Amino acid sequence: MRVRFYRLIRDLHLYFGLFISPFVLVFTVSVFFLVHSWLPRIASETSTTRVASALPLPGDLATLSGRPLIDALKPTLEKAGVRGEVGFVQHMVKEEKLIIPVTIPGRETTVSISIASREATIVTRETGLAAALVTLHKSPGQHGPNIRMNWFYMRAWRWMADATVYLILFITVSGIYLWYVLRAERTVGVILLLAGALSFFGMAYVLIH
Amino acid sequence: MSLSTEPRAPGKSPNVSRFRAGFERWNRKLHFYAGLFLLFFTWLFAVSGLILNHPSWTFTEFWNNRKETNYEREITAFGPEVKGDLGQAREIMTQLGIRGEILWTTTRMDPDQFEFQVRRPGHFFFIKADLARKRATVRQAEVNLWGVIRALHTFTGVQMDDPRNSRDWALTSLWAFSMDAVAAGLIFIVLSSLYMWFELPQKRLAGAVVLGFGSLTCGLFCVGLRWLF
Repeated sequence: MRVRFYRLIRDLHLYFGLFISPFVLVFTVSVFFLVHSWLPRIASETSTTRVASALPLPGDLATLSGRPLIDALKPTLEKAGVRGEVGFVQHMVKEEKLIIPVTIPGRETTVSISIASREATIVTRETGLAAALVTLHKSPGQHGPNIRMNWFYMRAWRWMADATVYLILFITVSGIYLWYVLRAERTVGVILLLAGALSFFGMAYVLIH
Repeated sequence: MSLSTEPRAPGKSPNVSRFRAGFERWNRKLHFYAGLFLLFFTWLFAVSGLILNHPSWTFTEFWNNRKETNYEREITAFGPEVKGDLGQAREIMTQLGIRGEILWTTTRMDPDQFEFQVRRPGHFFFIKADLARKRATVRQAEVNLWGVIRALHTFTGVQMDDPRNSRDWALTSLWAFSMDAVAAGLIFIVLSSLYMWFELPQKRLAGAVVLGFGSLTCGLFCVGLRWLF
């Protein structure tokens, strides 16, 4: 019974670990970019501009804001051929203009729609893989929960990010069990565990107090 | 983590060089040594990441439950050695007994009015100094443990879209360095696990399927979406 349990935990530790390893790499590699506020330019950033006309606009545009506005603008963006996660929409009433930021990891699109002429200028910036990793690391993030995750793929990313956390928690707990079974490694392991705890709580203490 | 009881490829061990055998042994040992040392850091970043991804979870609310205090203090004139905004902010903080990372949020229009924020996990200081009147007003907010956990996840002292803010507190640099170390440690743990898995012939196929599925799913988000849309 005990051997079967050990083998089951060992196999789950291995296979769950293999599954989430690419996700862990995404989160860890992007840490260096975020901590040092730096993005490597592997390929040069490209930018293209195009115009789309005769765009449909929601009739109750003036009364909409937040998520309902984003949902109402979906057919407009579809017609303009722009897909992705829609950010905070700016409605410039005086200028009769809508500015809609749309993001796909590694690509930022700004759609500027003239409400009067129903014409849009679409500027697309290909920001590259490093920027994509940063976008994914910060998604969905803590800001604008009412408007975020309005694109299916970013909602799916949130599920994956959550799954990564839950699996990491399982892997760490199962890892402790698998280490504890190895009697020869207990002393060194306990010393390292205590050293890690001391480093962590010590640093947290001096930061907070 | 250690898979020391797993059978290895038959007849392989006696032929492997001493170096390779040593490498395998140390790779396995370092895999769980690193995991044990980084355990609390990993738990912090995993749990705080989950909290950041779910701002609607009401039990993790921190800002609405903050405790605020306001006070006004006299400040003394700066000496000739105090130069620039950073120098002045540091001098005011020393006089007020405040420690933390300086956050520039407003542009200084009037040379006598000086406004800045200081943050450290769990503590927010909003400082307004009137240099002509030699008075400083401080709004201090203290947040609960959830606020501290969130802050530790993002406490780097820099922001990608704001080059004005740079690390100016030694402890922020230390924490940023520890974030780098945790990331590097986790990358090592992932790479060492891939090596250990590959050394298990009977687990290679199933592992390759799982790893391939994970890589494809992750690759869809990293590069695939740009390619598809």
